[in-house]
Amino acid sequence: MFFRYLCAVVLLVAACGVSSGEDETVARLLVHKRILNRFLVEGKDLVVDYNIYNVGGSAALDVHIVDNGFPEDDFEVVIGMLKIKLDRVGPGNNVTHTVVVRPRSYGFYNFTAAEVTYLPSEVAQDVQIGYTSEPGEGGIAAIREFDRKFSPHVMDWIAFAVMTLPSLGIPLLLWYGSKSKYEAIIKQSKKH
Amino acid sequence: MMAVKWILFAVLSSVCFNISLQDEICSSPSVTSNIYTTTDGVILSDIAFIAELVVTCQNGVKDLALYADVDGVTIPAMKSLDNNKYQVSWTEVPKKVQDGVRILRMYDEEGYSALRKVQRSGEDTSSIRPLFTVTINHQGTYQGPWVQSELIAVLLAMFLWYLAYSTKSRIQS
Repeated sequence: MFFRYLCAVVLLVAACGVSSGEDETVARLLVHKRILNRFLVEGKDLVVDYNIYNVGGSAALDVHIVDNGFPEDDFEVVIGMLKIKLDRVGPGNNVTHTVVVRPRSYGFYNFTAAEVTYLPSEVAQDVQIGYTSEPGEGGIAAIREFDRKFSPHVMDWIAFAVMTLPSLGIPLLLWYGSKSKYEAIIKQSKKH
Repeated sequence: MMAVKWILFAVLSSVCFNISLQDEICSSPSVTSNIYTTTDGVILSDIAFIAELVVTCQNGVKDLALYADVDGVTIPAMKSLDNNKYQVSWTEVPKKVQDGVRILRMYDEEGYSALRKVQRSGEDTSSIRPLFTVTINHQGTYQGPWVQSELIAVLLAMFLWYLAYSTKSRIQS
């Protein structure tokens, strides 16, 4: 949840070079980069979502998003592309893109913005460069720490049961032994 | 003379445009797909559906504009920078996710505009044949254990205590 709020606050205008007073017939892209996790855990799925909105009056062409924020040493890409392109985003349209990565280690990690480039109109020569919003810093929990809190603890309970077994089982066996011996004596005395 | 030139130009340009359009149609595509859906509802706030596709057209057409139609929602496919791979992805809220198979009906630019036309007129979209289809199977979302293990342990301990206590009172009476 923390991430969502943070993302909402730091939503950056990708088309920062174009002020609102200028020509409204050009494309203006807002790209919202979010981490869709409740918990960030080492070795478990981390869903990165890019939401691309075109709030301008024209279609954005040749849109490129390049995210260098997940280096190979720190993250394993499970599926999805961190460098993508899209031919066209029409005015008023929104498009989403999702990538799943897994953190290789635990600790605090700063999730940075991805770079966005596009042509703001059909006639535009200059490529517009912008950035997505920045999810910010997040703490990646160690898998052992996470398991301690959230796993079903089945193994722990089995271990507990095994450990308590002698203190319950030995008196039970002793009692059962004497009981059966006593019953056998009663039976024998009844026969005679 | 000027009018004749213009007509000739218009005819030629339309012929060229048609040829260029025909060139871009992908014939008998072979598709290799890599499918993934996230299943851990404990750590994730949204469930992701991702299909990575490598499309090879028999006539060698590359750089296609692909669109996926999933249950009536159209999603444009993202392309890798080298035009080798396509990706269709979306997310859903875990509580609303239905387990099972989703079919991605993939259209090229031409199929997509035909689909839009049919959607606008409110007709049945199944008449528009997709370029190819991809199946995504979501096997279910893990929302944590049904019963907490602590509860089972407490119940078990109470049962054991009851057994011992009832036996003890039987012996004493």
